[in-house]
Amino acid sequence: MTAAPALPEGHTICHYCRMAHPATGTSCPSCGAPLDVRMAVTRSGWVEQPPIKDMARIQFGQSRVQIEGTYVPVADFTLAGPEWIYFSHHSLLWTEPTVRLTNSSLAGGWNRMLAGLPLIMIQAQGPGHIALSGDHAGELVALPLMPGQQVWTREHRFLTATGNVSYTWQSTGIWYNTGTGDDRETHYPLGQFGDLFVAQQIPGLLLLHSPGNTFLRDLAPGEAILVQPSALLYRDVSVSMHLHLEYPYGAQRISWRSSFSQRTVWLRLIGPGRVAVASVFGRTSSDQITGNSPATTRQW
Amino acid sequence: MHAYSFAGTHRYGPHPPRTLSCRRGWNGSATFRGVDRIECQWCRVQNAPGTASCVSCGAPLDGKNLVSDSGWREAPRLRDMTEFRFANSVAQVEGELVPVTEIALGQGDAVYFEHHVLLWKDEATPVTAMQTQGGMKRLFGGMPFVLTLAYGPGRVAFSRDSPGELVVLPLHPGMELDVREHAFLLASHTIGYSFVRIQGLVNLLHGGNGMYLDRFITAGAPGLLVLHGYGNVFERLLKPGEKIMVEPGGFLYKDASVTMQAVQMPVKTGLLRRGMYLAEMTGPGRVGIQSMYVHHHAE
Repeated sequence: MTAAPALPEGHTICHYCRMAHPATGTSCPSCGAPLDVRMAVTRSGWVEQPPIKDMARIQFGQSRVQIEGTYVPVADFTLAGPEWIYFSHHSLLWTEPTVRLTNSSLAGGWNRMLAGLPLIMIQAQGPGHIALSGDHAGELVALPLMPGQQVWTREHRFLTATGNVSYTWQSTGIWYNTGTGDDRETHYPLGQFGDLFVAQQIPGLLLLHSPGNTFLRDLAPGEAILVQPSALLYRDVSVSMHLHLEYPYGAQRISWRSSFSQRTVWLRLIGPGRVAVASVFGRTSSDQITGNSPATTRQW
Repeated sequence: MHAYSFAGTHRYGPHPPRTLSCRRGWNGSATFRGVDRIECQWCRVQNAPGTASCVSCGAPLDGKNLVSDSGWREAPRLRDMTEFRFANSVAQVEGELVPVTEIALGQGDAVYFEHHVLLWKDEATPVTAMQTQGGMKRLFGGMPFVLTLAYGPGRVAFSRDSPGELVVLPLHPGMELDVREHAFLLASHTIGYSFVRIQGLVNLLHGGNGMYLDRFITAGAPGLLVLHGYGNVFERLLKPGEKIMVEPGGFLYKDASVTMQAVQMPVKTGLLRRGMYLAEMTGPGRVGIQSMYVHHHAE
């Protein structure tokens, strides 16, 4: 993400979304992060994203969204006039009859369908109330985007975005194969596609659903970190990534099965830029890797 | 409708009648005969001064009533180890993420439940099977046709085995409440149990609620009903004729006076699919929803 604009007088910068906001108040009006709690930073440098407080409001344009609940939080939108949001139909929890629902189709439908991604988004236009839920235990993460600002997010983490945030998707290029011949299987530990969001002429808002807890880190130029691929929530587009395979010492003596491979499949992230991970993630296969996308390897 | 014990006359009543003549204070407190009483914002029962949680439903009395801008009220988050009473029995809520309800059943009291929510019980606590009507129909609908009754004196504990919230609903005489199937954790024996088949082919095919709703009815005596909602639970009071469109999987409970109908929305949900269905709920009465649900198929 790019840097926030110049700081107006009497304002401060939110530690989490990097937007300027009045120094008073209990929550950031741009991302809803509580301002009356101490920032929690691990010894290794991960910043814990504090959960948005129950009933906190986030303003965007003439509309606002209120976050309700804590286990499986709900995003309750008050849409003003012609302002609109878009989302996958799975996320809809309830709506007032006054809200106008229409479709917007996405390019690359066949590929998206094969990857299990939504083909068609629903647009909701005000005035009226409409509420969305990520439908899993976790946190909502609000990312206000300034014009031209881009952010990459992992697939299936998107909850909704305002109409002025454009959405495209791209192949992650992160994969590996297990098995041979008819048993060959291709795995996408990060998902086959990633989502890319860009704010257009005016600021926009992107809401993600993060399973479990969320942690942020700013990587310095050239700084690298290994994370579980499916734990990645979002990253600045300046952060590059590739597959990293790590084999512990003595791993080949662990099992008599030739197909078994005691190794860890990592995602290697390289700064500069911000990355965010969720504390709930999927496990990768333990079968022997027979092919993979460009990767670094470490044999201990 | 298939009634278990008795059929109650429907009377819409989201809140119990106030039998005490009282003057409400600005902060929800009331004065009765010169003594400040605290009214529970969830179940409206009057509590003695200095009480931290409602004696009838366990809701914290020192917390704010959280209502969203759109009018949804959060179900009170019951504190760990909160106790509340019904008849001669005491219930205690333990844990917060996947909360457990433990009941110390008094002499003459009983609760009924679906057997898979039973977590533990005292060895000596007697249990019996409670046959429901419409057995084969219920079996085909994936509903238990035998409920279990546990009698006092003795202790028994229940868990729905998933993250979520308990919704404690003290029912007063003359109330009828419809609940999503499998969402009820326990009910006291004074509450009549029946079930209603969801009417209409469209509702059945696209309602996402299954074939049946559990119906709980009180006639002459009050009772306690405890539900479990996945995720967070919210409640809204609809005025007569007021409508709200709810994802069918998010529906948790409603007053029997609220009508529910599956309505097709004019949007596509896939390349070849048309027709996302939502449940149109029409007042008057309460509607309860849960924020985590298994999404139904829109085909």
